[in-house]
Amino acid sequence: MPDAKSSAKRLTPYKIIQSIIGVTFIIYIIWRLFVVFIAKPSYGPDTWARFAIAGLVLGMVYALIAIGYTLVYGILRMINFAHGDIMMIGAFGGYFVFEALRAIPTPTLVDPQMNFLDANPFISVVLAFLIGSSIAAMCGFFLEKIAYRPLRTAPRLVPLISAIGASIFLENAAQLLFGPQRRDYTNPMILTRGEGWSIPIGGSDVILTYTGVLTFVLSVLVMLGLYLLVMRTRLGRSMRAVAENKPVAALMGIDVDGVISRTFIISGASAGAAGVMWGIHLGLVYHFVGFIPGIKAFTSAVLGGIGSVPGAMLGGLFLGLVESLGPAILGISFQLKDVIAFGILVLVLIFRPTGIVGEILTEEKV
Amino acid sequence: MKKQFRHAIITGIVFGIITSFLFLIGFTGIAADMFGDLLQNKSAAPFMNLTPQMLDMLIFLGLIGLWAGSNGSHKVKGQTDDPIGPAVFGGLITGLVHGLFVSVLALLVGTLDAKGVKINTYLYQILPAVVKLFILAKTPIQGALFHLVFLTATGLLGGILSRGLGRSAWQSRLQKKRNESFSKISQAGIFNKIRSNRMILYSVYGIVLVLLFLLPLRAGQYWNYTIGTVGVYVLLGLGLNIVVGLAGLLDLGYVAFFAIGAYTMALLSAPAPHHLLWNFWIALPIGIGLATITGILLGAPVLRMRGDYLAIVTLGFGEMIRILLKSDVLTSFTRGPKGVPSIGGPTLFGKPFNSDIDFVYLIFLAVLLIIFVTNRLQNSRIGRAWEAMREDEIVSRAMGINTMKQKLLAFAIGAAFAGLGGAIFASRNQFTGPEDFSLMVSINVVALVIVGGMGNIPGVIAGALVLKGLPEVLRQMQDYRVLIFGALLVVMMLWRPAGLIPSSRRRMEVERDAGVQETAGEGREK
Repeated sequence: MPDAKSSAKRLTPYKIIQSIIGVTFIIYIIWRLFVVFIAKPSYGPDTWARFAIAGLVLGMVYALIAIGYTLVYGILRMINFAHGDIMMIGAFGGYFVFEALRAIPTPTLVDPQMNFLDANPFISVVLAFLIGSSIAAMCGFFLEKIAYRPLRTAPRLVPLISAIGASIFLENAAQLLFGPQRRDYTNPMILTRGEGWSIPIGGSDVILTYTGVLTFVLSVLVMLGLYLLVMRTRLGRSMRAVAENKPVAALMGIDVDGVISRTFIISGASAGAAGVMWGIHLGLVYHFVGFIPGIKAFTSAVLGGIGSVPGAMLGGLFLGLVESLGPAILGISFQLKDVIAFGILVLVLIFRPTGIVGEILTEEKV
Repeated sequence: MKKQFRHAIITGIVFGIITSFLFLIGFTGIAADMFGDLLQNKSAAPFMNLTPQMLDMLIFLGLIGLWAGSNGSHKVKGQTDDPIGPAVFGGLITGLVHGLFVSVLALLVGTLDAKGVKINTYLYQILPAVVKLFILAKTPIQGALFHLVFLTATGLLGGILSRGLGRSAWQSRLQKKRNESFSKISQAGIFNKIRSNRMILYSVYGIVLVLLFLLPLRAGQYWNYTIGTVGVYVLLGLGLNIVVGLAGLLDLGYVAFFAIGAYTMALLSAPAPHHLLWNFWIALPIGIGLATITGILLGAPVLRMRGDYLAIVTLGFGEMIRILLKSDVLTSFTRGPKGVPSIGGPTLFGKPFNSDIDFVYLIFLAVLLIIFVTNRLQNSRIGRAWEAMREDEIVSRAMGINTMKQKLLAFAIGAAFAGLGGAIFASRNQFTGPEDFSLMVSINVVALVIVGGMGNIPGVIAGALVLKGLPEVLRQMQDYRVLIFGALLVVMMLWRPAGLIPSSRRRMEVERDAGVQETAGEGREK
């Protein structure tokens, strides 16, 4: 912005209003924190721990999906609206792997009625993640090839509409293929939902579910891998170069189309993994399952500073925590958790227009 | 030869996937029924042990096979001479691969079905009857072999036909001519001609107006309802056109203002939650005013963000409004998820509006008014400022435009139009609930503005007709219409990135961008 310097010195009415809003908001939050924790504790520490655990796990899934948005946005400056639906396809992939493995009888000495899924849970889960991710990655690859590549030179809103069309197509194709009903994700026996280690906090037991821990650990690993991929490998370097400047990257001998294809494959694979986690942890899969997480993940990507991988992680975690802790702290109905999440987004963007971490784009490119 | 082989195999795989997909979503059966209706042969005698329905399905598959064969036989790049050999060979290979895919699928599905597996618990459309039709009521192996032979034969035929039809010198001349004339039309030659001559322009307007006046009298109740919905979407599209098309601000939460207009009308004129029972004509300006004020209040802090940040914040705002309306917090005020029933309608000179026809006229009137306002705005100093701002914000600021003020103005005017649309919409439906205002409404409106052609009034109207009218026309396809709608959205963007009726300035922009890309010749395209 050309007048950034001058407006920093001058006290514009906007700045004054901004400060008033900010101070009021911070005072309000502190007051609420004081009320719920000290003056009139609404929940015991065990409940707070439950909220925090749920928020952390959800936040990690958001973060994983958000990385896909951020990578694609960084390179193409477009909102890949169909990203959530790619996650849905990955979730279905994992679901069908579980169903297929459950149909294979694997009698053991202990239990002759055993099936493959319960007998080899580790292999089953790995298979589900591999197949779910690869289907989603393929889907991302073809999506880019069919719907986005011909529009590379078009104005920015055109690929957005193409993406919206692709999203509608994928949702309805899934509905026609798999039917409109919601399906229960049947996990291997040791990953039964709701079971886990119980930790005594404040007099009662808080259950740390196995699925939650699996989701959390796996997404941390995947994200670490993605971060290293972007920052340390040759492919990551070319991705960053293409994000910086396409023609110059092409002059440096980078196959721009190839890099963009690979970006879509990576973002599709991480969305697919997130989809399988969603299924394993939350247990329901249907054709519309990717829509809300997709929007939340995009919100997290923007919250953290779009284009930056650590930003997407932080944004996702932050959003997950706000969603689960926010209603309790502000003392309002849990129906309004999305209102709080979007409200926080607006506030963050008013004070830090480039997100928490700050975007890695330069002004002139946008 | 090797290249031709590769091309043919890839084409075969693509068509194999397409045909398998069409079968898996149950479209082959629907297509068979449609061909049956078309050919009127449903009661015909069986031919070669095949029932008419099977024959109809084979016609459909055969057409796909022909198309695949002709695609697979296309000349590949770098091939100078054009002998018949490769074309036929290409068609044959394509057909073979295509047939292989379909026959494997038939074998798989047929065997599973014969074993008694209930496939439709996993694949919803694959009922035993569908499988029986697909393998032609034979054993799975016979059915699969039949498909393999049939699709190979049609592929070969497609290759030969395309060699015969598509490659002659006469054909290529015709094709060239057609392309030329098409590009001339698509570059809006006709529209410019009409625009440049005032006599023709006004008479066209007159004819359209008369037709619009007569249309609701002839159409039935269902179509009047549809026309009314399309009209409301034209209103929304024209409003968003100012925000997105002229000022270049991507607003994905436009439905919020629509909801505010609708709920204001509902709460003021319905008996249910508050029993105010105000007159429509008093509630209408209040609804518009409230929407405008909300627009300004939302716009003031967020309009400083650019591009996609603005998009996600507005999206969030739209969702917030819907969730608030749905939640328990406002139940006593807006009846929550139950919605507000029996909203009052307008009266004019003592005559109450109670049929869809009356509302269609009211909506037409509103649309005409909005078109007039938009037109005046667009060609005024403000409109030029908006367009300058869209093109380059920094330069427009250097030209002395107060960009913040102009953005707010665009946002507020867009919100006002949405409020008007919402108030009329609620009054016509006599009901409004939170689910009327889902994110899909915002997305539909953005899509219709861009599909029609941004920044241009005829474009918005064409977009609304296509996007809201098309699903109604496709209603016969039932479950498949939304799928087709999504695919069409993509195809339309690939086919005409500047929109159906691009504004002249925007078309130049798209062409220039494409031209720059070509001359820059980055050598990586293809």
